[in-house]
Amino acid sequence: MALILLLTQQMCLYLVIVYLFSKTPLFKLFAETASRLPHKVFIYLVFSSFCIMATYFGEQTNDAIANTRAMGAVLGGLLGGPVTGFLVGLTGGLHRYSLGGFTDLACAISTTLEGLSAGLFSYYLRSSGRYEKIYDPLIVFGLTFVVELMQMTTILIVAKPWEDSLVLVKEIAPSMLLVNSIGTALFMSMIRDQKTMADKLSSAFSAKALKIAERSVGILSQGFDQKSSATIAQIVLEETNVGAVAITDRNRLLAFIGLGADHHLPGTPISSNMTEAAIRENKVMFADGVESAYACSLSPQCKLGSCLVIPLRNDTEVIGTIKLYEAKNKLFLNINKTLGEGIGRLLSNQILHNRVTQQQNLLTQTELKLLQAQVNPHFLFNALNTISAIIKRDPDQSKQLLQQLSQFLRINLKRTTSLISLGDELEHINSYLAIEKARFIDSLHIEINISPELYELKMPAFTLQPIIENAVKHGTSQMLETGKIRIEAQLIENDTLEMIVEDNAGLYHNSGLVENGSMKSEGLGMNLVHKRIQNIFGSKFGVTVDCCTDQYTRVIIRIPVAGVTE
Amino acid sequence: MITCILVDDEPLAREELASMLTAYQDIQIIAQCGNAIEAIQLIIKHKPDLIFLDIQMPKISGMELIGMLDPEQMPKVIFITAFDEFAIKAFDNHAFDYLLKPIEESRLQQSIARLRKDLTPQAVHSIAPTQLNHLPCYTGNKLKVILVDEVEFVCSDVGGIHVTTAKETVHTQMTLKMLEEKTGLVRCHRQYLITPKAIAEIELLDSGAEVTTHSGAKVPVSRRYLKTLKQLFGFQ
Repeated sequence: MALILLLTQQMCLYLVIVYLFSKTPLFKLFAETASRLPHKVFIYLVFSSFCIMATYFGEQTNDAIANTRAMGAVLGGLLGGPVTGFLVGLTGGLHRYSLGGFTDLACAISTTLEGLSAGLFSYYLRSSGRYEKIYDPLIVFGLTFVVELMQMTTILIVAKPWEDSLVLVKEIAPSMLLVNSIGTALFMSMIRDQKTMADKLSSAFSAKALKIAERSVGILSQGFDQKSSATIAQIVLEETNVGAVAITDRNRLLAFIGLGADHHLPGTPISSNMTEAAIRENKVMFADGVESAYACSLSPQCKLGSCLVIPLRNDTEVIGTIKLYEAKNKLFLNINKTLGEGIGRLLSNQILHNRVTQQQNLLTQTELKLLQAQVNPHFLFNALNTISAIIKRDPDQSKQLLQQLSQFLRINLKRTTSLISLGDELEHINSYLAIEKARFIDSLHIEINISPELYELKMPAFTLQPIIENAVKHGTSQMLETGKIRIEAQLIENDTLEMIVEDNAGLYHNSGLVENGSMKSEGLGMNLVHKRIQNIFGSKFGVTVDCCTDQYTRVIIRIPVAGVTE
Repeated sequence: MITCILVDDEPLAREELASMLTAYQDIQIIAQCGNAIEAIQLIIKHKPDLIFLDIQMPKISGMELIGMLDPEQMPKVIFITAFDEFAIKAFDNHAFDYLLKPIEESRLQQSIARLRKDLTPQAVHSIAPTQLNHLPCYTGNKLKVILVDEVEFVCSDVGGIHVTTAKETVHTQMTLKMLEEKTGLVRCHRQYLITPKAIAEIELLDSGAEVTTHSGAKVPVSRRYLKTLKQLFGFQ
């Protein structure tokens, strides 16, 4: 009984050491699989010294030593594998052997065997995919119990005289079996706890990062300004629990939330050297307030004591910074530092993405404006000339033409960017064609074949009209014979609206125009229509051209019905 | 009396100008037409003092038209345009008269007044294109525009000027001299012009040579022009 207490005491000493050890980063190594050589060497050194210490601290009993050496050997084998286990056992065993006594050889052999068997067991668990079982205290308890039994048997077989061995085993076996098994199991459970904690921490970290990413999505799409920055800063503050969060552009503070918000005022110029350096050098700057001093550049009363500045990049150029602060009485957590850098990257990507989208939109908008503003002056003045020609002879018709021209111009000047109905687009086309027909009289024939059922279908404004204007301008008006233009629309498979504009001039010679996006003036209108449709509805839709020289040019516009009826 | 021809592809525009011109007793409209090909025929036929010429017309523009006219037959030209920044700049640079659509009464009056003082045609070569890309032609009642690149040879006889491509032979009102000046066709005979690219072989004869074109047509070469023709291909 006394022996149990003594051994337990010894074990407790170990466990205290191990507990302290568990607070150092080195302890993390135990929680990982030892697959590389330096790692195995580390395991070997640690557990060999455990074995040796156990032998030293062991209790002299009947010219033998009751000890907790088995703990080192078993743990070494479990964590390091068969070879490491064998070496740990051998080292512990040789050391024991050097101390002498009638069980010296038996102990040396049995300790080596213990290390080796634990290693083999661990190898077996790993190769059968039950890697987690190595850390299961119950299994470890069982394993240690079995190998200790093995040791006792070895002593009985190897140590002479047999009678002494039997007496010894009888005396030490219960306590050694129990204490070693419990000790090993406790040790493993500590490693397991450490491991679980690390896993939990990293999953908490990921969760935080994901939460910030999720919450900040789309906010910067309204632009990188004071309003969006304040929202982002608020989210970061809430998720990281740092003292304060600030966002700057290259010159000014855009947002500041948290401690010290009373004197860090959004809109004021950047005053901190650290921020300026971060912008200038495109580098993360960190002042932890201990090794590198941090002092607020605005107010000596400021409670903030440490600061992390992360540059926000738009491609390669720094466009601002995000700053995380911690109060003087708090430590700047390492996790927040890593998280902060991640947030910086996240925001940079969002800003970049946002710029690209914005530029794309801007481009399409500008091009559309251009298209609409492109009231062909030649058309306009010729129209006026036509009206002035018939004004005396036919005042009514000239009045009508003036109205048509006004309507045409009004729609062009309105510059709607939204969707309009096919009916509305046709009205626009009719005003246009009324004037062209008056200009060319008999040399222009128009045939419109569109069922009124389709009039309600929606399409982007200025989809059909520019194509028809093209057909007149670059088609029929270039013919010596009578020009004919046929306009049709139909539903294909109930989901695609197909509009066809065909002239009989066949003068469209830039066959690669829509594909290679060449911007010849005659293709500009068509290209814009094509690009706009593709931008809105995807590459399945758009404008295609089929031309047979001097016979016909057929322009086909395809738009999805589902996408446009909304 | 000043005789004139109106050339504009829009009938109403011609009508409008004609009605404005009735106010001028000394201006007589002898013909009207809606394209450059007919215009050439009318100009050659009627030899007007003046043409009102719209710039933007199908196939052959007003600018190209004046490049196709023999300078000897060139009437005085008043250009008309609705909107053509480029042309207007050219007119201003060379002090040519032009009218903007819709035509202003007072502006027309100015032009006519200037015209009465001086009917000498301007030297239009300064703004007319120096090289032609297509030729105004006709066959029967049909007007045709032939690409210069497709022409194999041109010949003149009592019937007029005949333009031959690999596919057909049509006729034109342009003179051989103009064609020689404004296209890549070269003289090979007093009555023939040939496109060097169209020559497949040259057979030397006593009287000169005979060229066979890629489409198999035969074209005579007189001794006078043989040397220059041979030199074109690097023969001595």
